[in-house]
Amino acid sequence: MFERRLFYHVDWAMLGAILALCLIGLVQIYSATGGSGLYLTQLYGIALGLVALLACLTIDYRSLADKSHFIYLGIVGLLVFVLFFGVVRGGSRRWIDFGALNLQPSEFAKAAVALVLAKFFGDSRRAAVTSSDLLVAGALTAVPFLVIARQPDLGTAATLLPVLFIVAFVAGMPMRIFGILAIVAVLAAPLAWTFALQDYQKERVSAFLDPEADARGAGYQQLQARITTGSGGPWGKGFQKGTQGQLRFLPVAHNDFIFSVLAEEHGFAGVIAALGLYLFVIYRAIGAARLAKDRLGAYLVLGVLASFTFQVIYNIAMSAGLAPVKGLTLPLMSYGGSSMIATLAGFGLILNVRMRRFTN
Amino acid sequence: MQVTQGENRKRIDERLVALQVAVIVVFAALGICFWVLQIVQHTKYDEMAENNHQRTLALRAPRGMLFDRNGRLLVENRHSFTISILREHSQDLTRTARMLSRVAGLDEKQVLQAIERHRGEPSYRPIVVVEDATLAQVAAITARRLDFELPDVRVEQVPTRKYPTDALAAHLFGYVSQANESQVGDGVALGSIVGQQGIERVYNTLLMGQDGARRVVVNSVGREISTLEEIPPVQGRRVQLTIDYDLQKAAEDAFRHAGFNGAALIMDPRNGEVLTYTSLPSYDPNDFAAGINRATWAALNTDKLRPLQNRVIQGRYSPGSIFKIVIATAALEEGIATPDFRVTCNGGATFFGRYYKCHLKGGHGSVDMRHAIEKSCNVYFYTLGNMLGVDRIYKWAEKLGLAGKTGIDLPNEQESLVPNTEWKLKRTGEKWYAGETISVSIGQGQVSVTPASLAVMISTVANGGTRVTPHVIKAVDEGRGWTEMPTPAVADPVAFKPTTLSALRDGLWMVVNAAGTGGRARIPGRDVAGKTGTAQVISIEGRARARGSGLDLRDHGWFVFFAPRDNPEIAGVIFGEHNEHGYLGAPIAKHVIETYFAKKDGAPLPALPDQAPPARPDEDPDSPPALPPIAVADNQLAVGSRQ
Repeated sequence: MFERRLFYHVDWAMLGAILALCLIGLVQIYSATGGSGLYLTQLYGIALGLVALLACLTIDYRSLADKSHFIYLGIVGLLVFVLFFGVVRGGSRRWIDFGALNLQPSEFAKAAVALVLAKFFGDSRRAAVTSSDLLVAGALTAVPFLVIARQPDLGTAATLLPVLFIVAFVAGMPMRIFGILAIVAVLAAPLAWTFALQDYQKERVSAFLDPEADARGAGYQQLQARITTGSGGPWGKGFQKGTQGQLRFLPVAHNDFIFSVLAEEHGFAGVIAALGLYLFVIYRAIGAARLAKDRLGAYLVLGVLASFTFQVIYNIAMSAGLAPVKGLTLPLMSYGGSSMIATLAGFGLILNVRMRRFTN
Repeated sequence: MQVTQGENRKRIDERLVALQVAVIVVFAALGICFWVLQIVQHTKYDEMAENNHQRTLALRAPRGMLFDRNGRLLVENRHSFTISILREHSQDLTRTARMLSRVAGLDEKQVLQAIERHRGEPSYRPIVVVEDATLAQVAAITARRLDFELPDVRVEQVPTRKYPTDALAAHLFGYVSQANESQVGDGVALGSIVGQQGIERVYNTLLMGQDGARRVVVNSVGREISTLEEIPPVQGRRVQLTIDYDLQKAAEDAFRHAGFNGAALIMDPRNGEVLTYTSLPSYDPNDFAAGINRATWAALNTDKLRPLQNRVIQGRYSPGSIFKIVIATAALEEGIATPDFRVTCNGGATFFGRYYKCHLKGGHGSVDMRHAIEKSCNVYFYTLGNMLGVDRIYKWAEKLGLAGKTGIDLPNEQESLVPNTEWKLKRTGEKWYAGETISVSIGQGQVSVTPASLAVMISTVANGGTRVTPHVIKAVDEGRGWTEMPTPAVADPVAFKPTTLSALRDGLWMVVNAAGTGGRARIPGRDVAGKTGTAQVISIEGRARARGSGLDLRDHGWFVFFAPRDNPEIAGVIFGEHNEHGYLGAPIAKHVIETYFAKKDGAPLPALPDQAPPARPDEDPDSPPALPPIAVADNQLAVGSRQ
């Protein structure tokens, strides 16, 4: 299965960048948690993730795609299972308890949806994406979306939408459909505001628009994120010297706000380095899609990349206080085993596609 | 529409390139955002981050200590605990108030009221809930703080003023409290401790010292993590008073022993250094030191005995027979009479068609100046006063320090008042009636003086004419050892004629050592000289009308003195409030003088007699005579009896 020559086609540069980001994350977790054991847990997560990456690299993506419907059904099954038997933490039911480790199936749903959509559009013989294609793809996305949203975890659920749109976009969805969807979104926003959003969610959006109006309440995290980032300056305050993160002015600094901690302790220089690494990884991955031997491969790369990119951009914007606070972690850097394993597994798929661009 | 595989591939590639460009644009945008935040707006956010985690806590400076003239410590500082709420760390103020009340045993309503009172202030300023907390309260709260239950409650140790027990010299020291808005500025911040009365107020700048500050790092729930910088407070200057603790205590003990309230100002007649400063009833300045509670403050303010009044410089009373000293001095110095000038007293005399009585029904017979002073003969002084006229009386009253302020270095001094023609014209638009002069001659009418001014008067007589300015500060330590404060300049130096001086000294010596009223101040070998007097509280007619009003209408008694007669070292006034007889103040003076000489000689300090001396049953020659009405406008003669 794994031929020796494939080894030479692994994108080592991208893998290096990914590991560098993991390392930066690890250091920041260590700093933000004051040297407690959390960084070790993260290290295990990285190790397991690399195993998953290797696994996803080894099996030809085409055979994986052939089994995508099983994977998809399996994940949806797990999600439904979580809905009833999952572990409750912080008011939502997201985890399966494996004793030593809690697994968050929603993290893996991203890859599963990417796989099933890649397979669906890749198999399509039609040149352009039709409305009925979109409906099927939409339904495939909607099922895990709704189940995850029920946990409730609207943030993770939302990361499935970029997968659908990006894959559909590259697969040739007419631009006017995007236009129509955009119009529908604009029109639906007030309706969603009135009916769909919970009060705490509305508060977060209001706080985003004017964080200083409610500096003690919902706007607190927003403002603190901005202060944390801004106070870092060009070179930062130094490792473990960040006052905002160290003194807990910023909540969950090792998790959602890991990038703020980086910005505070290592300043603009650190930010540019991390942004550069992320950009390199994403740019390189799109490059892998362009090199892909078949459409399936291209779609698969983009599907995996879409939720990753969306999450990176959103989290970094949030870290600078530029987006409403949402429980979205920063892939590769934030503390969290499931996210790390799922993300690295996803990159396994991307490397897989690139590596097998010459094989039949 | 059928598209070839190649075209399809090409379109996919186009869209992928579009995505690559889009990603670069978004990341560039993010980079710019971080550039704006971290480079352009860095200063602003850096400041906000510092405000987040740095607090500057004020460290209260201990006030300067006060010593007596012999270096004995009078006023110092002790440590007290203050419990306050820092609202910027409060999650739920009502919960904090409830919890704090329960833990420290406070009334929750009062805690909430305290919070309400300071609601408008910035939230980083602590709201003081308990001043001078007990150790039990401190322990209970500290334990909770460690549990993170009361993160917004602060317990601070602050230096607090400690005054002597028994409210010793309370009106001299005054008291301290938090600065109000009008006192802010010139190194005084809102809420810092400043002197409000007495020495604490007048010498506040010296005594206050400089508050320090401690810059600390706090975490998001307000717990102090570390100290960045500490500027230690600078204690206020040490100040040495002219007061002698033993004499002060002797005077207050003697007052308590005598059983009446009043005032005493005893000083060195040679330079005006105040040795004893007493005003009774008093208050305990310690009550103010850690913030006075409302009930105590209200009680002090509504007390009919007016303990807050500083009687020495704020009480104004008619001097009665004490004023005869002024008349005698004026007559002798103006050359109107010699000490041998004689007047025959038949128990009264007629001036301007009206009969003015002497206190002795049968009359004193023919008396010279010395005996007139000794016996306090009214007729003699009616005659002299009539010869002088009110303006010359005023001139000498002023020279002796009885008009206006004494200039003592204490706040809120009242002016003493001796009338003259110009004053009356200005005040009432009416001319002076010669008949009014007759009652002024025996210290009645509109003469109204403070005990302090009488002390200056008797000191001036004692030292032979130099009007000294009483003062209470002897030396200040500005960090380089004690520096003597200069003696206040003498405003108007006068030297009495030797005949004047000997006549006055003889007459006043006879009051105490011969047949006069001051015998209770007699100390063998010390040659005490003095004079008693009675300050009429209300006229005899007024008294009849005010009967049953519940007011204390008994007369006040005066005793002025100096000793020894020929080079006096100590002089002063004893004012006995409603004690009716001036001679009752004489034992107080005696006790202080005895203490003074005992100290000087290195002898053991005298003790007070076990029993209060029995009140003298006989007629008091100082009791004011019922004065006849002179003219319609003159019914204001009798003090306080206009209506």
